[in-house]
Amino acid sequence: MSKRPKVITITGGKGGTGKTLCAVNIATMFKNEGKNVLLIDGDVENPNTYLLFGGTLEDKKEVPFFKPTILQDKCTKCGLCAENCATHALLHIKDGFPIPILSVCSGCKLCYKICPSGAIEADHKIIGWKYQSRVNHISLLIGELKPSEARSAAVVASLLQDLDNIFKKNPDKYDVVILDTAPGAHCDVELLIEKSNLVIPVTEPTKFGHLDLLRIIELIELLNKPYKAIVNRSSLLGYRDQFLKELSENSIEILGDIPLDDDVVKSYCQGTPLMDSEGEFNKSGEAYKAFHIIFQNLKNWMNEESNNGE
Amino acid sequence: MVIVAIPSSGEGGLNETMSQRFGRCASFTLVTIEDKTIKEVKGVPNSASNSMGGAGIQAAQIIGNNGAREVIVGFLGPNAVESLKAMNLKVLQAPNQQFTVKEVVDLYLKGELQELDSANVGAHHGMGGGMGMGGGRGMGGGRGRQF
Repeated sequence: MSKRPKVITITGGKGGTGKTLCAVNIATMFKNEGKNVLLIDGDVENPNTYLLFGGTLEDKKEVPFFKPTILQDKCTKCGLCAENCATHALLHIKDGFPIPILSVCSGCKLCYKICPSGAIEADHKIIGWKYQSRVNHISLLIGELKPSEARSAAVVASLLQDLDNIFKKNPDKYDVVILDTAPGAHCDVELLIEKSNLVIPVTEPTKFGHLDLLRIIELIELLNKPYKAIVNRSSLLGYRDQFLKELSENSIEILGDIPLDDDVVKSYCQGTPLMDSEGEFNKSGEAYKAFHIIFQNLKNWMNEESNNGE
Repeated sequence: MVIVAIPSSGEGGLNETMSQRFGRCASFTLVTIEDKTIKEVKGVPNSASNSMGGAGIQAAQIIGNNGAREVIVGFLGPNAVESLKAMNLKVLQAPNQQFTVKEVVDLYLKGELQELDSANVGAHHGMGGGMGMGGGRGMGGGRGRQF
């Protein structure tokens, strides 16, 4: 039986639905109960969870990405590397040295492995950074893609490598791990969902929210993960009931819904999580109550899932 | 003596239409020029034309392996530019209108083509356009993300 902590991924397809709001507050509610929480910000193009905790980016580490460098004193110009490069990232003209076209290199290292004369050096370039910090008794691991770089999934993969190392060396270190994803249903989001035990897509009662929720659910179902949605801003212009009815008609279960509440905006402006036990928010406010219900439902769901699994 | 490559329709040749697409043209017409006259014309098929990605790089490789030192283009994507630059090829811009290969070579011989040093369309520009006749123009797009 594994002691590995449960991994909960907060995602949602659409941007700006409140993924980070939910990730930060769910993490905070686990912390309030004395749980040791690791929150990983996998939205590497816009890493900002730390701001909602009033934290800063610390302990910066580079994320390297393979870059083939041709050693001209060893290269026999045979062209084997270019012939076999799946993304055509090596350009070879007969009697010339192969030329790496880095923008299309997938980093697979095949060229490096098959070169018969050892003429390809496994060099690297920096495509982003990782940060680690601890704020409010919650551990944060944050990825950031270097502007102009395209491979966000490689930065996410590097974060997940760190998570695997923690699981391997120190499986008891955390009680729960929360993964916050980027919007969309791209490969970087896919990696995070794949890593999780439970998935929570966050949506809002708009046409865009509905469409993007269906798209992300398609991905979650493809990866065969259990999921329950959260409907944020549910009181938006009176569309709550109609929206919840649509979800239920599509057999989409929800953990709860969060009505519009100025306290949420206040927590964003202050950089303090709404559910922080030391915060000064209205404990009988709409959003506060909603998060309590969501958390209770989440814990019940976790129990059900672990009973199912064992 | 210099060999100039021109993206073309069909199997290539002076009477074929010049293709506005580079990586995904049907063929390249390689024209050997000496003393301002055409000495030799050779058509080579563009095996990269239906490639999933990296067509510009492969196409650059094809013309490079056929000895081209200069290339005349219509639209040119970022990978093609990077490749042609890395190969040190001179890139000349053809006007945006329909020409035969012969007509564009005549413009070249008169010195009326401008040198181009950066991409003039985004990645995957030429994908899914019509066959020949300069199809697939106008819609940019492609985000260059590989995963």
